[in-house]
Amino acid sequence: MDRRTVLKGLAAAGGAAATSHLAAPALAQGSAKVLKFVPQSNLANFDPIWGTQYVVRNASQLVWDTLYGMDSKLQPKRQMVDSETVSADGLTWTFKLRSGLKFHDGEPVRAKDVVASIQRWQVRDGMGQLLKSVEKELSAVDDTSFKWVLSKPFPKMLLALGKVGTPCCFIMPERIAKTDPFKQITEYVGSGPMKFVRADWKPGALAAFEKNAAYVPRSEPADWWAGGKVVNFDRIEWVIMPDPATASAALQNGEVDWWENPISDLVPILKRNRNIKLDIADPLGNIGAFRLNHMHKPFNNVLIRRAVQVALSQEDYMRAIIGSDDKLWKPIPGFFTPGTPLYSEEGGAPLKGKRDLALAKKLLKDGGYDGTPVTCLVAQDQPPLKAMGEITADLLKKIGFNVDFVATDWGTVGQRRASKNPPGQGGWGMFHTWHSGSDCASPVGNIAIRTAGQKAWFGWPDNPEIEKHIASWYDAKSLDEEKKIIGTVNKLGMEHVTYIPTGFWLGYQAWRSNVSGITNGPLPWFWGPKKA
Amino acid sequence: MRATASAEFAAAPELPDILPPAKPRRGIVGFAWRHPSMAIGLVILAAMVFVAVFAPWLGTVDPTALAPIKRTRPPGAEFWFGSDAYGRDIYSRVLYGARISLIVGFAVAIIASLAGLAIGLVSGYVRVLDGLIMRIMDGMMSIPPILLAVALMALTRASVENVVMAIAIAEIPRVSRLVRGVVLTLREQPYVEAAIAAGTPTPMVILRHILPNTIAPLTVQATYICGSAMIIESILSFIGAGTPPIIPSWGNIMADGRTLWQVKPFIILFPAIFLSLTVLAVNLLGDGLRDALDPRMAKRI
Amino acid sequence: MLGYILRRILSTLPVMVFVALFVFSLLYIAPGDPAAVIAGEQASPEDVEKIRKSLGLDRPFLVRFTEWSGQILSGDLGTSMFTGLPVTELIGQRVEPTLSLMIVTLSLAVLIAVPIGVLAAWKAGSWLDRGIMGFAVLGFSVPVFVVGYLLAYVFALELDWLPVQGYTPLARGFWPWLENLILPSIALGLVYIALIARITRATMLEVLSQDYIRTGRAKGLGERPILFLHALKNAAVPIVTVIGIGVALLIGGAVVTESVFAIPGLGRLTIDAIVRRDYPLIQGIVLVFSFVYVLVNLVVDVIYTMLDPRIRY
Repeated sequence: MDRRTVLKGLAAAGGAAATSHLAAPALAQGSAKVLKFVPQSNLANFDPIWGTQYVVRNASQLVWDTLYGMDSKLQPKRQMVDSETVSADGLTWTFKLRSGLKFHDGEPVRAKDVVASIQRWQVRDGMGQLLKSVEKELSAVDDTSFKWVLSKPFPKMLLALGKVGTPCCFIMPERIAKTDPFKQITEYVGSGPMKFVRADWKPGALAAFEKNAAYVPRSEPADWWAGGKVVNFDRIEWVIMPDPATASAALQNGEVDWWENPISDLVPILKRNRNIKLDIADPLGNIGAFRLNHMHKPFNNVLIRRAVQVALSQEDYMRAIIGSDDKLWKPIPGFFTPGTPLYSEEGGAPLKGKRDLALAKKLLKDGGYDGTPVTCLVAQDQPPLKAMGEITADLLKKIGFNVDFVATDWGTVGQRRASKNPPGQGGWGMFHTWHSGSDCASPVGNIAIRTAGQKAWFGWPDNPEIEKHIASWYDAKSLDEEKKIIGTVNKLGMEHVTYIPTGFWLGYQAWRSNVSGITNGPLPWFWGPKKA
Repeated sequence: MRATASAEFAAAPELPDILPPAKPRRGIVGFAWRHPSMAIGLVILAAMVFVAVFAPWLGTVDPTALAPIKRTRPPGAEFWFGSDAYGRDIYSRVLYGARISLIVGFAVAIIASLAGLAIGLVSGYVRVLDGLIMRIMDGMMSIPPILLAVALMALTRASVENVVMAIAIAEIPRVSRLVRGVVLTLREQPYVEAAIAAGTPTPMVILRHILPNTIAPLTVQATYICGSAMIIESILSFIGAGTPPIIPSWGNIMADGRTLWQVKPFIILFPAIFLSLTVLAVNLLGDGLRDALDPRMAKRI
Repeated sequence: MLGYILRRILSTLPVMVFVALFVFSLLYIAPGDPAAVIAGEQASPEDVEKIRKSLGLDRPFLVRFTEWSGQILSGDLGTSMFTGLPVTELIGQRVEPTLSLMIVTLSLAVLIAVPIGVLAAWKAGSWLDRGIMGFAVLGFSVPVFVVGYLLAYVFALELDWLPVQGYTPLARGFWPWLENLILPSIALGLVYIALIARITRATMLEVLSQDYIRTGRAKGLGERPILFLHALKNAAVPIVTVIGIGVALLIGGAVVTESVFAIPGLGRLTIDAIVRRDYPLIQGIVLVFSFVYVLVNLVVDVIYTMLDPRIRY
């Protein structure tokens, strides 16, 4: 007799109460016009320019419209824009807004609102800053059109305005967009298909959106962020769950409709439940990162960085993060997103094949490792980071490093990784993070590969040659040329060991079978799904 | 000792034993017969200490060795208690985990008792400082111990020492109040007043007359602190503010298995059984001690 | 009586000041940077620095403390750094679930613990007594989340009698409200039941051996129930005390219980705030908690004097 039978036996003892209550969960799921969604994490703030967490962006797409939207082929398509023209020299862009756009307060969307929104976004976004550096003038021509005059052509203009990576260029009313980009907005008025219900917002527990009846969707069918954003719900509730086990239980019991990121260990029980459907959430997935500090001992020495590179087993990392399901991960001997045009494996040999502990030990010796401990910053509150940290501690010890394992939370890692001091004085040796596949599809969002020394991302890798190649990508005229440049960037990055990818993984999403029309993409799209 | 009780509640006079006198027995059997809960507690606790000390020789492997390929295996021949989400052997982790949990329990009990004793003695004996110290202790007590420990853990980096300190700091106010209560009543005792009148130096009075009388209630209190410290350790780990995750403690093993409780309940089950048994043993020991040292203290819990 | 209450309130003021100072200093020296969390993965160190400035985190301790104290005195707990919402609003949203959880837990605990405590005292020394007391010791020994998961597994997932998570406001009906609170209350209440059962038994035994009860018995007042009711009235004082002391225990346990059962209460708010280093929010919550604790103990003391006229202050 297994445990289940025992429990069923106990249930029988419970008597009539059990049967009378069995029907309840079906009711718990509620009306067909209300969707209950469990997001990846808490919606702790609601300003997509000020706070750049993915969860903020995902909620913001409901409330704020964008000028362009990325489709499933990673092409930016018109969303708020009706038409755009660019002068023959590529220096003057003119955009015309489509008609009927209205903010939730009833005011029409005017070109000056767009200009103010772009200006606020520019300050915080990498690509926005690039645009700013070549900008001569950005101004409203009339109520429905605005122009952008540049000093140098910027071929990736539409990609910048329609990119998926945070912060996205969301359009807000001028009075809100005038807020200092480093201060949070306090009013949540947009022109998107849903309105934010401020009164129901309980950060850490609930966020609610209600239908914007005045929204006019585009006529094209919805495709990711592009096309007509037709929402079939009067109300969408984001229910924040404190841990995956509780979220899973709630979905099984029919207390919620859709869960953005079930952990893979729980997938088998969800699969057994015939009321639940599962699919890959984001085909672009995530890339795990072993980030090294290039400024200080021991990882300021490329030989010692390579020692980790040749011994690191992506399989170990991936199994620790996503569990036993082999369909969900693959090794990635490169820095760009698998399945996207720029993906390259050039120079990826050290990450392939059998892991070589003996070579690692030799490299460590050749690099003159003097026993300096590696300070590992490991955030315990983010499951993938915790998992990677466990594997790393084991790996570094096996290679022969001394390890100083700092178990802490993401807030502290976020602070401490910014310190350029030596590890003994508040600095660090390595930390883990992960990059979203949609960010790593091109150098636009792939900031982790940059090697501009002191100005580079945390870890401050310094390699002018790689930087030169990345800069040339922005001026590339054809995809073939882009691919060639990226191949070189990948190869040099691997040689320099800018950082070490720990693998590429995909996640599931799960929903009740009475909900139809859920698609996959880098964000959960709420246009399309319907509830019976 | 009666005084400890009357400090808070109206005291009742001692009563004669209603039960017929038991036939006295000798030796271990006799002890167990007279103090069954203490005996059970001692046996379980001794077993746990044995497990903790001899963990390396009890068929264990390296408790931190990872094998992601063999993750979340159910209990069986290879992994007696199963393997966790990183393929570590839960049996080995649970046995080694006994070390951490026992160290945390005992260390917190000792530190909190000693610090509480010192503060309580000063507060009870030095009238000028009493008001100030007790206000501070009241203030600390008004912050729930788990919140205080979580906040203190946010302050420092995760390590066993810091967990011990965080829990101990949260427990100190209770101990010092207890000791202060004892001291206050003892001061009024004729023999203490006589000693003071005779010109015995203050340290001597404390050492000779006050201190010995605080030992019994303090020991009982210390056992309860020991038990609750082990529980708090597990809760801190559960919240993610406990001992560093690469050190196997029962709390950590359970925290790792937390998200898998539906599918792999054994990850939580084994450390939970060990933890509960140990805390149970400590509490039984505490009850037994209390009954043996002073039946009147029963009401203090 | 009124004078006593006033004096008590006055004497708690220094306690509150101490707590405020302690919490503020603690958070001031704590590592972790909310600005870094806000800025996200793609932010440059310069951006993080700017956000830190705009949050006022770069100013010295004394300036920030003085400003904060001034705010508190005017009833303003400040603004949460992450959500941009007033701390009072954030706490206000979470009070009902936590309060409900505590009230249901307390009622449940008293309803279960007092009868079994009395029962144990009545049958003192019997196997029933040992069983009850054994259960009580066990109640202290199992971590609350283990009990929580066990209950959720059996009663929500396997038997499907009760919801597995969440909270329904009382305004939407009594049963929907209670339904969500039963399992968490049992999990959270176990320690409490154990505690109250033990104290009830101990005080009952003591009261039963008092002279006046013995006199009553001698006079032929053999009726057990009446006797126990009589004794219980006298045992009420220590039981009420334990309830007062236990509030701190309850608050600590609520933090975990709310996580296990996804109840949007103050406990979860606290953990979120600590993890994210949302300083104004943490300060506000701790102040509120200690205020509640002090208040409950004041009420308990007042009830004392009403229950037992011998106690005079």
